[in-house]
Amino acid sequence: MAPVTDSESGGIPSAVSTQLRRTREFVDETEPPALAIIAVMTLSLFAALVGFLAVSDLTIVPFVVFLGTAAIGWVRYQEETAYVIALAMTVSTILILGLIIVFIFRESVPVIRYESATVYGVTVPGLRMFIQPNWDAVSPPIRYSMVPMIHGTVMVTLIASTVAAPLGVSAALFLSEIAPATVREVVKPGVEILAGIPSIVYGFIGFTVLGPWASDQFQTTGQGSYLFVGIVVGLMALPTVVSVAEDALSSVPESMKSGSLAMGTTDWQTMTSITLPAAFSGVSAAVLLGVGRAIGETMAATVMLRGVPRLTEPLVNVFYGQETLTSIIARNYGEADGLQMDALFVAGAILFVTVLVISVGAQYIEWRMHKRLGGEI
Amino acid sequence: MSENQNPQPQTGTATTDSDQSLTTTTGETVEQTRDEWTNYEFQGEAKMTVEDLDVYYGDDHALKGVSMEIPEKSVTALIGPSGCGKSTYLRCLNRMNDRISSARIDGSVRLGGEEVYQDGVNLVELRKRVGMVFQSPNPFPKSIRENIAYGPKKHGDLDTGLLARLLNRSDADERDRLVERCLRDAALWDEVSDRLDDNALGLSGGQQQRLCIARCLSVDPEVILMDEPASALDPIATAKIEDLIDDLSEEYTVVIVTHNMQQAARISDQTAVFLTGGELVEYGDTDQVFENPHSERVEDYITGKFG
Amino acid sequence: MAGASRTGGNLVEKETTETDAVAAVAIGLSAVLFALAIAAMFERISLTGTLAGVETVTLLGGLLTALGVAVIAFGVGSRFGSVETDPDPSAGIIAGGGAAVPWVVIGGAVASETLGFGTAVGAVAAVAAGAVAFAATVLPREDVGSTLPLGSLLAVTGLVFFTGVIGPTWVWELGWAQQAAITAEFLIPVATLFTTLYGGWASAKAYGGFGARGRHMGAYVLVYLNAISIVAFLFTLVAYVVVQGVPGLLNGADIGLGTGPETTILGVSVTLPVSVPFVMNGVALFNDFQGVLPAIVGTVWLVIGAVLLAVPLGVGAAVFLTEYADRGRFTQVVEVATNGLWSTPSIVFGLFGFAFLIPRFGNGKSLLSGMITLGFMLLPLVVITSREAMLSVPDEYRDASAALGVSKWQTIRSVVLPAALPGVVTGVILGVGRIAGETAPILLTMAGGTFIPESQTVDVIGSFQFTSAPPFVANPALLEATSALPYQLYALITAGVGLGSSVSDPNAFRWATALILLIVVLSFYAIGIATRYYFRRRLRHN
Repeated sequence: MAPVTDSESGGIPSAVSTQLRRTREFVDETEPPALAIIAVMTLSLFAALVGFLAVSDLTIVPFVVFLGTAAIGWVRYQEETAYVIALAMTVSTILILGLIIVFIFRESVPVIRYESATVYGVTVPGLRMFIQPNWDAVSPPIRYSMVPMIHGTVMVTLIASTVAAPLGVSAALFLSEIAPATVREVVKPGVEILAGIPSIVYGFIGFTVLGPWASDQFQTTGQGSYLFVGIVVGLMALPTVVSVAEDALSSVPESMKSGSLAMGTTDWQTMTSITLPAAFSGVSAAVLLGVGRAIGETMAATVMLRGVPRLTEPLVNVFYGQETLTSIIARNYGEADGLQMDALFVAGAILFVTVLVISVGAQYIEWRMHKRLGGEI
Repeated sequence: MSENQNPQPQTGTATTDSDQSLTTTTGETVEQTRDEWTNYEFQGEAKMTVEDLDVYYGDDHALKGVSMEIPEKSVTALIGPSGCGKSTYLRCLNRMNDRISSARIDGSVRLGGEEVYQDGVNLVELRKRVGMVFQSPNPFPKSIRENIAYGPKKHGDLDTGLLARLLNRSDADERDRLVERCLRDAALWDEVSDRLDDNALGLSGGQQQRLCIARCLSVDPEVILMDEPASALDPIATAKIEDLIDDLSEEYTVVIVTHNMQQAARISDQTAVFLTGGELVEYGDTDQVFENPHSERVEDYITGKFG
Repeated sequence: MAGASRTGGNLVEKETTETDAVAAVAIGLSAVLFALAIAAMFERISLTGTLAGVETVTLLGGLLTALGVAVIAFGVGSRFGSVETDPDPSAGIIAGGGAAVPWVVIGGAVASETLGFGTAVGAVAAVAAGAVAFAATVLPREDVGSTLPLGSLLAVTGLVFFTGVIGPTWVWELGWAQQAAITAEFLIPVATLFTTLYGGWASAKAYGGFGARGRHMGAYVLVYLNAISIVAFLFTLVAYVVVQGVPGLLNGADIGLGTGPETTILGVSVTLPVSVPFVMNGVALFNDFQGVLPAIVGTVWLVIGAVLLAVPLGVGAAVFLTEYADRGRFTQVVEVATNGLWSTPSIVFGLFGFAFLIPRFGNGKSLLSGMITLGFMLLPLVVITSREAMLSVPDEYRDASAALGVSKWQTIRSVVLPAALPGVVTGVILGVGRIAGETAPILLTMAGGTFIPESQTVDVIGSFQFTSAPPFVANPALLEATSALPYQLYALITAGVGLGSSVSDPNAFRWATALILLIVVLSFYAIGIATRYYFRRRLRHN
């Protein structure tokens, strides 16, 4: 196991210098032939990456070189080769996230330029997408507004959260604090399976069963409503909330719960006064992640919504469902090209950034909770 | 209430049977072969009476037919090697073992004459009357004040919530008096009186444990169970806890599990020795048990030949 | 003595059978009403029809009123001492808020719509009604506070239904630009459902004798109900898909020697003894029964490709992060990045594949792009679960191995990886279940056409070829657009009525596709959960 050095306080510069020092030590300690193999592997892999990015037909050449040297290295210097391969794999994981960011944003640049708006004499690129609600890709003036889709996503997410948050936290309490062991053995896999049901199946049932029923109940014209998309998406986000919240609740030390019970409180009092407050940040992280799932849910929304990018009238009319950020991509990628395709990438970028912020926020909250519970008890 | 009928308490009279006047005639077949000296006779009244208590965890027979009476307002120490069932026994007295789903409990535990293991027992009431202090300090992640006020608040004896404040019927003064009294009784007041609103997790280990004792006192229990309360503490903190236990025994019935034989000898009035396999082997006056044990196995254990 | 003055209490509860019975009957009544409301919502019982000889709405109204009266009676009886309970001085702010919500709705709706005072007055009335309900809950002693407002809610709702003020044909036109209305069909079951939940909560509190125990009871009723509902929901969902899907799946199925198609197993030509055309055929003009074989094969290859990409990458990264890298900023950043990647919406992966992969693999949708996109999606999960599994391998193992002079990589290979294997395998299987059901990414990167003819069922192994020009290796199968089950289902849904020309019963065909997809995905989950269970049991036995 690598020695745990505390580079937390030093920040990134000191981490980099530590890494440099270790690299130098590594170079000093390694035999020259092994070092050569490592160098060839690294260079060829890098060349393959560059070739791939440049859409070159010759990409395969450095890649084969890499495979060849890796094979030789594996046989003769397994220790070093394993290290380099593991490192390369770590780097590629980060690289993928980087590539996603680069490509999503790069593709959305033209439409952001096109949709510039001038406020107080300053031209702000992309602003017009957010200050007028009109999406029209066919007849001039061509406008790509994100407002209707943001409205849709907000509506769906709000409804989904009101479904998923209370039910999910309650189910997590049940699983972690209340259920007898045998019941838990049944309910827990059940919740996992609920997470496994493909979203298109939810969407299909929503489309064939829920949609006609809802349009009948609310006497709407045609089917597709934010209300029921929200409910379905909420049910889909439920397992995320349950499993993360359950983890948080069970990480509250048993001794704290026993301490409260030994005072003669009821189980419910212990849960509300000790367990839930202690796990509060973890539970809110669970709800946040559930919200993230709801925002990103695509297929159920695509299938159940009307697919007309406009605002509902009035804005609170949940009985009509037009389009969300996710569904507009799934629905329009086929016939879209040029600016319209780029506009879809803008929708993707909004989704990506929102969910990334939520994910990082949730992780920060969880990290703080573990530090508090784990560090001082 | 099982009265002690014997007018002349014969402390330390050891017999290998259990022909006490208060045990029932059923279950008399305690094997004579087992060397048990457990019918300790004492002056005063028994606070808790345990008869033929068996505990199983699944297939594991953790406690075997334990019977003992715990005298009122005194300190009873439970000692024995690890895994001998003394903590299990302790947790039977306030039914904390109910939390373990695989545990099965047979036998009788009476608190002031009322059976603890019967249908309709109010666990809230039982645990209010039989408080518990745990091995490692477990204050709640709240302020010191809130830690003490927690029990009375939950039992509806104190109300300092938003609503009570709005309606001007907050018991804040009563709460503060209670907090001070409990902290004084737990010998912690002088150390924390100026920071009652600080988080209790910021206290040192010994302070935390005394806070837990103060918290336990806040609901005014009759019996206080302590599960190795000083095992996680340094010698100075341990000494403070021991002094505290001594003071507490004037008002409360204290039952304490400890690993530390010197500690048991110092603080307890009577000592029960459990040996491996979940048997209670000897129970008697502390001086007698430590200086002149009847059982050879107990003598071996106390003198350190095994354990 | 230290401590607060002891409030009297008995160790053993007294038997109070009669009052318990009243509260228990109220809970039972709530359960019946709950079931009736659900049944009415899904139109299992008709609102216009009769039930047990009484009109449904009248019956619901009557039962609600009875429940409300019972709840009030219990609370008032407790207040005047005829029922023995242990109430707190107040029901508390949370209960007050809970009771206020329905009264806000009722107050607002009645003032603005029924009495026609408009929105502004409606809002005032809503706040006023809510405030009264809140005060009535919070100010009196708990026994009255937690029964009277909720009991009145039940009674009022019940009387409205009972007297026919809201009958089966009642409609409230919302008058919005996009036409929508609230009908009795919707309102009556939903109002019954929610008021019944309140009624059950209040009865459960009463059953527990109010106080701490009463609240415990009330909360447990709701928490248990929620857990049961989730399980029931899951069961209904799966059962519904099965019932709808089986006819289409077994359309033309046959069991018996020589009925199935011929296949070659280990070089021997065998005729399978079963024939299920739906999973063994594609779609072709002259087929007796159409099927989704190409989509199944597509899904299988997709999963294989994604696993081949993600598992080595993910496990390698996890090895580096847990075994080689210092725990500090770097690992923290990678951790945040992988978690972020894991919650990235699937459609964003699709967009990425569309922008990044498609131009690099022949400028068209292809199986290979789909594989890589799904591999990228699976990657963070593999990293996360493998890391968790490796971190849970005790350091003692590593120390013991290192103390024997074994090198680091040898230690990882022979100690850490085997010990972490169960966790990695389980995580990967569950992750595969997830990506096998994903539609959005492959929509943009891989899938084309509603139907893929049977002749185009992908054969990846058979179509490798070497070429003289770069890139020297070609595999047309990998570079061709194909289908997969989730996409197939999506295409079938969006194809709408046009489907009738190629499939005789489009609806049965769709449901059968959904069923097959569900079976494929859930079997991954079943295997994953079973593996975890197996490893856990083996661990316990060792």
